[in-house]
Amino acid sequence: MTGRRKLLLGLVGVLALEVALALKAKPEIEIGPIPQWRFSLGGHELTINSRTAVMSWLVMGIWIGAALLVRSRLREVPGRLQATFEFLTEFFQSLVTDTLGDSLGPEKSREYLPWIGSLFLFLWLSNIIGVVPGLEEPTRDLNVPVGCMLVVLTMVHTSAIRKKGLKKYIKGYLQPFPPMLPLNIIGEMAKGVSLAFRLFGNIMGGAIILLVVSALVRYVLLPVGLNLFFGLFVGTIQAFVFTMLALAYTAVAVSD
Amino acid sequence: MDLGMIARLLGAGISVGFGGMGSGVGEGLCAHHANGAIARQPAAADQVVRTMLVAQAVAETSGIFGLLVAFVLVFGSVAGPPLLQFAVALGAGIAMGMGGIGPGVGAGIAGASACEGIGRQPRLSGLLTRTMLIGQAVSQSTAVYSLVIALLLIFVVGGG
Repeated sequence: MTGRRKLLLGLVGVLALEVALALKAKPEIEIGPIPQWRFSLGGHELTINSRTAVMSWLVMGIWIGAALLVRSRLREVPGRLQATFEFLTEFFQSLVTDTLGDSLGPEKSREYLPWIGSLFLFLWLSNIIGVVPGLEEPTRDLNVPVGCMLVVLTMVHTSAIRKKGLKKYIKGYLQPFPPMLPLNIIGEMAKGVSLAFRLFGNIMGGAIILLVVSALVRYVLLPVGLNLFFGLFVGTIQAFVFTMLALAYTAVAVSD
Repeated sequence: MDLGMIARLLGAGISVGFGGMGSGVGEGLCAHHANGAIARQPAAADQVVRTMLVAQAVAETSGIFGLLVAFVLVFGSVAGPPLLQFAVALGAGIAMGMGGIGPGVGAGIAGASACEGIGRQPRLSGLLTRTMLIGQAVSQSTAVYSLVIALLLIFVVGGG
């Protein structure tokens, strides 16, 4: 028997076993309760979604660990890991200087590189970590996208004030004429809402669709492809979109 | 079968049905222009196909949102008096379904012109894809608002 036929036979066997197991299992769709830590502080009730907190710290830990590892063995001739990190840094550096360079100059725009880079790395790993069994995307919890969105909005408006000065910044809200003030403010808030909910909707939507379809086909074959699409593909695109929008909003805010 | 269940099924149908309309047209547009671009510039076929696939995946977002709302409606539950349940479920379905039409087509148009542009200027494919992604994301905002309202209706008003 050739190697390929053996592999094929093995695959068919695993599939048959899976179907047999699946037919015995009952489809069960359950969007379970969210595990929480509750404690009170000075009379206020505090709630922390424990799984989200643990997973986002795990993501941050992975990146910090990888960065320390790369830093500890920097070489003149880069190894594979170092080359990957260099590629990422260069990619984001050119992205940032391309977008912000016109209005801030190449030197100042480089200050935004650490922020943009770590925002993308955090969101990217957060979005795709659900592919690993047992782990869960932290971005599935609305609090994480909203937190990132608040960081982005703070950064956008701070850099606008820093570039233009407070007076000109406030004047920007009275454009094209003063009665537009409420509309401009609502427009700014809508940016934040759509930024956070776009990420949350895509990741949460993928997770729920995966859950329901997996239960309907009883975990045979189909969920693997869906996991690849929703986990890796959509996760990567949404992380990139979030980062690019953060950059684009900053560019609009600092340009006159 | 009670009124709430009827409305949930109706809402799910409307949400997926109309939500899929926009995405379908949009993705078709992308493929249409990608084919034109490859016919003009066969050497750039790889880049065009890659951009087309990314564009279609983003244009599909409103359809996926529709599917999500439908799943939540069918497998979740809505509480309250029957008439309120009816309004909540149907309202969520209509919001997501109708709201998904425009963004699907809009994101598709953005993807279509990106494909066409790459066919004309293959060297700019990185820049064009990036611009396309930003444009699609912003044009998708209204689908996101629809999703927010649909989920608010189901989970806050309906208390499901």
